[in-house]
Formats: sequence, structure tokens, C-alpha cells
Amino acid sequence: MDPSQILTAILLTPLVSAAIICLFLRRGGYVAAAVSVIAAFVILVLSFYWLFNWDGMEYTCGDSALTILQFGGFEVNIGYLFNYEAATMLAVVAFVGFWIHVFSVGYMDDDKDKGRFFGGLSIFMFSMLGIVLADNLFMIFIFWELVGFSSYMLIAHYWDKDFAADASKKAFIVNRIGDFGFLVGIVWAYHFYGTADISAITEIIHNDPTKAIDGIGLLLMCGFVGKSAQFPLQVWLTDAMAGPTPVSALIHAATMVAAGIYFMVRIFALLTDFTLDWILWSGAIMTTFAGFCALGQTDIKKSLAYSTLAHLGYMASAIGLGFPGLAIMHMAMHACFKATLFLCSGSVIHACHHEQDMFKMGGLFKKMPITAIAFFVATLSISAVPFTAGYYSKDTIIASSWGLYAANHEGIYLAAFILTMLGALLTALYMGRMFFVVFLGKSNGHGAQHAKESSFWMTVPLIVLGWILSLGAGWFVQNGLDGTWADGKMTALIPTDVAHFMVDGFHGEHNGWEGAHEIYEEAHAPWVEYISYACIIGGFAFCWFFYGRGAPEDRLQKSAPGIYHVLERHGWFDDLYDWYVAHVQQRFANILGVLDLLLISGLAVRGTASVAGLVGLVCRSLHVGSLHAYVYWFLLGVLIFWAFAFGIL
Amino acid sequence: MNLEAFQAFAADNQWGVLWPELSMALLAVLLLVIDLFAAPLRKSVIPALALGGQAVILVILVLSFGCAAVGDYFSQMVNLTTLGQVFRVFFVLTSLLVCYVGWVYLQRQNLPRTEFFALTIMIAAGMMILGNASNFVMLFVALETVTIGFYVMVAYARHSPYSLEGGLKYLIMGALSTSLLLFGIVLLYGAAGNPSLPHYTGDGLSYANLNNFIVANPDNLLVLVGAALVLCAICFKIGAVPFQIWIPDVYQGAPTPVTAFLAVGSKAAGFVVLINLLRGPFAALEAFTFPLLAAICAVTILFGNLTALGQRNVKRVIGMSGIAHAGYLLLGVLALIKGVDWAVWAIVFYLFTYLFGSFAIFGVMAHLAGPDDENQELEHYQNLAKNQPFLAGVLAIGLGSLAGIPPLAGFIGKLLLFIAAFEARLYSLLGVAIIGVVISIYYYFGWIREAYFKTLEVPPDEASGETARPYPHPRSLSLAHRLLLGALAAFTVLLGIYQGAFGSSPF
Repeated sequence: MDPSQILTAILLTPLVSAAIICLFLRRGGYVAAAVSVIAAFVILVLSFYWLFNWDGMEYTCGDSALTILQFGGFEVNIGYLFNYEAATMLAVVAFVGFWIHVFSVGYMDDDKDKGRFFGGLSIFMFSMLGIVLADNLFMIFIFWELVGFSSYMLIAHYWDKDFAADASKKAFIVNRIGDFGFLVGIVWAYHFYGTADISAITEIIHNDPTKAIDGIGLLLMCGFVGKSAQFPLQVWLTDAMAGPTPVSALIHAATMVAAGIYFMVRIFALLTDFTLDWILWSGAIMTTFAGFCALGQTDIKKSLAYSTLAHLGYMASAIGLGFPGLAIMHMAMHACFKATLFLCSGSVIHACHHEQDMFKMGGLFKKMPITAIAFFVATLSISAVPFTAGYYSKDTIIASSWGLYAANHEGIYLAAFILTMLGALLTALYMGRMFFVVFLGKSNGHGAQHAKESSFWMTVPLIVLGWILSLGAGWFVQNGLDGTWADGKMTALIPTDVAHFMVDGFHGEHNGWEGAHEIYEEAHAPWVEYISYACIIGGFAFCWFFYGRGAPEDRLQKSAPGIYHVLERHGWFDDLYDWYVAHVQQRFANILGVLDLLLISGLAVRGTASVAGLVGLVCRSLHVGSLHAYVYWFLLGVLIFWAFAFGIL
Repeated sequence: MNLEAFQAFAADNQWGVLWPELSMALLAVLLLVIDLFAAPLRKSVIPALALGGQAVILVILVLSFGCAAVGDYFSQMVNLTTLGQVFRVFFVLTSLLVCYVGWVYLQRQNLPRTEFFALTIMIAAGMMILGNASNFVMLFVALETVTIGFYVMVAYARHSPYSLEGGLKYLIMGALSTSLLLFGIVLLYGAAGNPSLPHYTGDGLSYANLNNFIVANPDNLLVLVGAALVLCAICFKIGAVPFQIWIPDVYQGAPTPVTAFLAVGSKAAGFVVLINLLRGPFAALEAFTFPLLAAICAVTILFGNLTALGQRNVKRVIGMSGIAHAGYLLLGVLALIKGVDWAVWAIVFYLFTYLFGSFAIFGVMAHLAGPDDENQELEHYQNLAKNQPFLAGVLAIGLGSLAGIPPLAGFIGKLLLFIAAFEARLYSLLGVAIIGVVISIYYYFGWIREAYFKTLEVPPDEASGETARPYPHPRSLSLAHRLLLGALAAFTVLLGIYQGAFGSSPF
């Protein structure tokens, strides 16, 4: 099979699955689940078949792209652009996606609407793969909206609950705000560069760097801000946790929210220094801000959602620092450990009969050892304990921000370093709190007391993603993909700027992550590295003593309710937006509504309609039904025709 | 006349060229013969034979398309053109569909059946000759075959006062228009025979001779007066203002299949004659025909659409909207006069989309009609989507196509006509046409709304406590009906997406 056929097969498999489920299996139960899981498995097999056969060179399908719309010279194409970031993203979507599908079979066992759920998952896979493979901005936008739709559909899976319906609406509307800027940016880019093809635009800017302009980059960034829930559109992600937990794991942690990061990496050439600084500020601040907010939640999924926000902030920081490959690597590592954390929380929630309050759990380590170990490994990984997956990417981001500061002495890099380091401390705090409260000590709630380890369907994905990948993915990428494993065919999975990671001004002997850490030694500042170890150990120790094991209530909430309240309200963004909608937008809409009623509906529509109706009435009354009158009509007609013949009319 | 001269005269009497017309006529006669001698077979064989026979003719006609040599036959009585051949297909298809609708209609009526099929097929044969006539005698004979057939068919439901009234009105109006046509022909013949004028001809009835004469004498008053009278008669056929006046009463009174035949077949026949005349003998009269037809086109579009607005009777709605469609088609004719040659294919394409869209609607109407066929109100369609989703879907596709909603065929048909008008620089008429389309969406969608969105509030019957259904819809539809109506709807969708050679004609 030639490459474009394989990629088309990968893209269409989930669409076929969704169509089958939508048409025939809407009440299909486990049959629908089977179709969806098989589709995910086919995607996994095809993706890795393609990755093992890929030569590492950038692949575009060029002129063989399928044109779906053409107006004169304007075309909308379906084509593929495949390079290292697409390879990593495809591997993540296919692999993590498959295991989350498997997990869903167990998690949704008591759900009545399996058909709708698994159909939605398949649509999501289709849309997400479309973003991964797209070679032009229009195609990305189409699939961008499709992931938005599938996210909307899956958040509202429990549509009969008000909070789920509201959350899905909120996610959709907030994303629309970002997408508006995104769309304007696409139109501008198409107007400015004369093409929407990403590799063509990259080529143009490569030849003439002045062609990268702030406006386009900032507008395209709006799409990223909406989809990846960055400041100021971060408010939808925590509410989106109303969806089933596998959805939170797949869409709102591992893949869709990372699509914003992925898109920024794809158009990295377009981003000017000004845009990058903006991304760095917002990303770095988000690492700390979201970290604090995570401490103010008792709902385990919401706390994890804030953690996702913080880690998207890390990825944004990596882009802002100028290391897009590092952002992609952190995305991949984050997909492993964050999916694990969400799946573990799903396993726990399922076992505790849909109890989501951490302080009503406790003591689950003995009852659910497989889940607990997976959660423990992922906790270490997210906190960047050395040699776990998170260490290789997250700690490298912190190190590179310090390295840039040491090399350039610019304040923005110092700020980024301090903020990301603080974010690391906060990660240890909220993750330690979560692990100790949920898994250690004694059970606090009725559900937790009767909890049992989850079924085979749920524990196997936890072992794969948690025990193995969260622990070893980073180490494997560092040591396994250097040309020895699989005859070096998978080397292309490592982004080149990570493999040869180097900050200008330093001359370490090693490339990649090791090189990043050598920066500390070369700058004679080994204490920086000790700070990050201190943050991890200090954070865990503080939680051990402050929150306690299996605590029935939040000690911070009890001892300092004021501080806790600030964290819980996460900066009053929601209240601010609510006030804006209720008091500014609604009033403006009311004024427009009155104008619409008077001018459009009243004058323009009813007015013309009544004129037309009146004329129609007159015309109709000419048809009197009398034959005599009709004959006179004919004679009149003949006279008119003759008048034309004589040239009178 | 000696034998050789006679042989030379008869050499181009190639009867084989007229095989489709002849076989249609023979089919009609065969139906009558069976009716006469094998009366027990009436119910079963005749509809099947009428439909099957025409289907066979249609298939052979389509397969052998282009085989017959284009040119003059029968001493220039018949001029076989590609356009004429396309219209042959069109008329056979129309007649086939009329027979189908008629079959549905006659199952509910206590009326003789054989004559209906025989007349329909005869009329269609007349229309087919009309498309290829190149002599006014031929034109007149063919036209009278069609018109006299319609006199009978409009009044076919003879127990219905509406049908009889419609028949009488059509008879008188038709006779009037025939007389106008005849006057016109006589004036043209007389003028062309005047030996004092250049290029005078002894055979002023032949298009070719007449053309020669008119090119030499474009300002002759007698010619203009005669041509005006001929155009009057054609405007009666296509239902253009001010000769539209008969349409609502006749359309309402006529049985539904006859209404369909009038709306589609008669209108198309009028247009093919108009095109032939304007490209033939009247080509030199552009200074007269263009302003006249332009004025008529604008008035027809607006009048048809505005009058359709307030109608509640669906057959009158169809009739009035048909007037507007004639107006759109006149736009194409005007582009043709202005030298946009491919406009003729835009007209053909539009007529085909109109055929599929209209028969989808008429098919649904025939299925929903009760015994009193002429009083179908919009209210009868309430709740149709709930009770008969299939019929409602076909109806919506047909109406959507007539309204010109993408991606249905009617949209492309209008688009092609409008592009042709644009190329001919008819900007103000284009504006009028677009206003007309906007108005038409109101009444077409009003009909769809009745079928889909309005629920009738029927007060429960106090005695039984049940809700009465005032307009019963048929419960089920057999597979054959579903297939045929589905095919019409499918063609409407298909032609909207893929137009074959028509799609590339403007470019």
C-alpha cells in the first residue's frame, strides 16, 4: 500500500465504525462497544505498521490531495502532511486511544447508552486523526470543529443531568470564542500567503522571515487558547469533567486539549518572537495558577483537570521557549501519565459507586492494589521524579528555561523558570495530597468501604499505561530510540530538536535530556537541580504531615477557609464571565432583539411580505372565472403584442 | 406529375425517421383495439401495456440516440435536429409519467380507462412531431392533435362540474388561440407570397423559405402582425402573461394527471416551438421579439409568483408557480435571442429538472387525492410527515427542487439559466427573476411546512372520545409506487450533484 492509502485507511476506519454504530447499533450495547474497540485496534495496527515503515522523511501527498470544494482559484483540500510531530501524535492517539477504548468497555458496563458513547468515541478518533494528519489550515479547521462537536457530545453523555448539559454547552461556546479568532487568522493567512498549505507557508517564511507577522500568529493562537484551555479561556475544562471518566482521560487530558499544542508546533514557523513571549507568559503563569487551584478542589477529577491545565502550561512554555519538539515530547509523556491518573480515578469512582469526593474515599490501596500502584507510579511520573516518564520532559522544560536565562539574562526566562519550578512544587503538593487521601489510611465513605478491584477490562489498560509507560516511556525514548531498537526505524519518533537539544552558549558533551541537565554544571549552578529534588520531596513530605493519610476532610479548608475559598473559586473567572454575559452581553442582545423585531422582522420581513401579499391579492382577483372576461384578456393581449409589432411600446 | 418527379419528391419520405412517433401512435391504436375486442383484459393488460410499451420505446429511443441522420425529411416538412430528438425523449418520458399518475388516479375513479392512456400517448406523439416540425402546416396539424386531445382530457372526469367547466374554458380559449395562430400563419403566408417584395416565395409555409423572405423584409408590417399573432398562440401554450388567464381554472378542474401533462408537456411543447421559430423564420425579427419577450418575461415571473402567494388549492399553486417557471424559461429564450447559443441546453436541462420535480409532486398529489380530486387544499397535507414520511420526503424534494434549493436539480437548472442570462447581459431581468425566486420560496416552503411542522388541532369527538382524522392519508404504499416515486426524487437529487455534459456547457 502506498502511504496515502494507509493514512486514508487510518483516517476512515473510525468514521466507518461511527457510521455503523450510528445507523445500526444505536441501541447495540456491547456490540457497538466491540465495533468501536475493533476500529481502535485497527487504527493501532495500521498506525504502527506505517510508523515502522516510515523513512523519517517529511511526507506530503502533494497534488494527489482530494479537493472537496472549489470556487474559482480557491480550493479546500483533504491532504496529509506527515513529519515527526505527526508521528509522535499519531502514536499517542492510536496507542492511548486504544487502551482507553478497552478501559471504557469495563467502565461503561452499567450504562444504558453504550451505542451513543462508543459511536461518539469513534467520531472523536476520526476527528482527532484528521487534525493529526491535516496538511492545510482549512482541513485542520474542519476537524478542529469536529473534535469540538465530539467533545460536546461526550461531555453531555449524561444529558439528563443539568450540570452535564450545562458543561457541554459551556465547553462548546468557550471553544467557539477561540475558534472565531482562529478562523479570522486562517482567512488572513490565506489572504497573506496565498495558500493555506502548512508546508508551503513554512517554506515562504523560511525564505523570507519577515513574512511572519504578529497578527496572524496571535489570531491562530486563539484556536490553541480555546482548545487547550489556556488563559483566558481556561474555564471550560474543569466543567468538562462532567463527562464519563474515559472521555476525560482521552479527550480532556491526553489528546484533544493537546491538539492546541500540536497545532502551535505545526505552525511554529509562523510564530514571531512577540507571539512566543506571549505564549511563554501565559503558559508559565498557568503552571502555577492551575497548580494552586488544584489544591482547592475536593472532586478528584476536577483536581486532575487543573493539573492538566498546569501541564498544558508546561507544553506552552516549551513552545514559548522555542523548543517545539520538547512540547511534543511532554505532550506524549503527559498523555501516558495523565491518562493513567484519569483512568485510575475512573476505576476508583466506578468502585466507589460514582463517588467523586476524595475525602469520602481513603484506604483504597489494600482494596484496589493494581489501581493504586498505577496511580502511585503516575504520581511519581507527573512530579518528575528522576527516570520516570515525566522527568525527561518536564524537568527538561524547567532546565531549558533556566538555561536560556543563564545564557541571555533576560527577565522573562527567569520568570518562566521561577513559575515552572513553583509549578513543580505545586504538582508534588496536589498529587501527594490526592494519593495520600485517596489510597492510604482508612476508608471514609460507604462506597470506599465496599470497594473492590476493578475488572480485567479496566486493570489491563492501567497496567499498560500506568505500570509500564508512566514509568518507563521517558527512559525508553532516551535510551531505546537512539538507533538500536527496531533497527532504528522508530528514531524519527524523537523530535530532532529534542535529540539534539542544546541551548546556544553551552557546549555540553551530551545531546538531548542529559545535555539539558549538563547546563547546570556548566553554569556552575548545580543547586538548581537540587531545588527541583527538594520541591518533590518537600511537597510529598508536607502533604504526608499536613493532610494526613485518608483524611476525612481538607485540613486547609478547616484551618484557613479564606485561602481555600480563593483557591476553590479559581480566581473568580467564572463569576466575571457570568457577570459579563448577564449584564453586558445580555443587555446588548436585548437592544439588538428590539431592533430586530422592529426593523428586520417588522419592516423588512412583514413589510415586504404584506406588499407582496397585497399585490398577489390584486393579481388573483383578476382571475374572475368568467369566460367573457378571459376572452377580453386574450384580445387585450393581442393588442399589446401588436403594439410591440408597431413599435408603440 | 410524371412518375420520376413523384419518385424524386417521395425520396426523402423516410418513414423510418419517424419511428418513435409512429410506434407511439400504433401503441395507442393497439390499446383501443384491445379494449374493443378483448374487453375482459381491460383492467389488467391495458395499463401494463401502456406503461410497458412506452418504457420500451423510451429505452430504445435513448439507446439509439443520435443514430438518425439530422436533416430535412418529407419535403422540408420535418427537420430532424438534435434538439428535437432530445425533446422526443422528454415527451415520451412525460407521457409515461402521466400514464403512471393517471393509473394511480383512475384506481380511485369510476371512469373509463383505456381512452385515457390512448389519448395521452396520442398527444405525446403529436408533441414529438411538433418538436421537429419545420413547416407551418406540419406545426398546425401537430398542434391541433395535441390541443384537441387536451380538450377531451381536461373534461375527462365528466361527473365533476369542475372538470367540465375547465374543459369548456380550455376549449374556448384553445379555439381562440388556434384561430389566432391560423390568422398569423395566413398573414405570414400572404406577405411572403407578394411578388413585389424581394425574395418572395410561393411556399411561405416552409420555415426555410419564410426565413429567406423575412431576412430580406424584416420591417414588413404584415410580417410583424402575423408573427405577433403566432407568438400569442405560443404564449397561450406556455402560459405566459397575458395569456395565462385560463391556467388556474383549467388546472384545478382537470384530473391531476392531466394537470401534470398540461404543466409539463404542453409547456415544453410551447417552448420547443418557440425556440424553433426564434432560431428559424423569426430570427431576423429580433428588434421586435426581444423587447416583447423581455417585457413578458418580467411580468410573467412577478405575476406568477405573486398570484401563487395567496392560493390554498394546491393545483392552483402549481398552476401559478408554473407560470413563473415559464417566465424563468423565457429568460433562457431571451439569452438565446441575444446569441448565447448554449442557453438552449440550459432550457432543456431546466425542463428536465422541472419534469422530475413536478412529477414527484403530482405523484404524491395523486396518492393523497380523495374522490374529489379537484379540491386538494394545503390543509390536506397536515401531518403528512408523521403519517407518510416517504411521501412527505418525495414531496419536500420535489418542492425544494422547484424552489431551487441546493443541492437539488432545480437549483442547478436555475443557475444555468441565470448564467446564460448574465452572459447575455440581461441584468435587470436577472434581478426580477431573483426577486421572483425569493417570493416562490415562501409558498413552496409554506407547503412543506404544512406537511412537516403543522399539527392539526382536532377537537376530540365528544361521543366516542376519539380524534377524528379529517383528511385520511393512505396507510401504505406498494413497493412499485415507492420505487417509482423514489426514482423521481433520486433523479432530482442526482441531477443536482452531477449534471454530465450540461454542467460544463457554460464553461
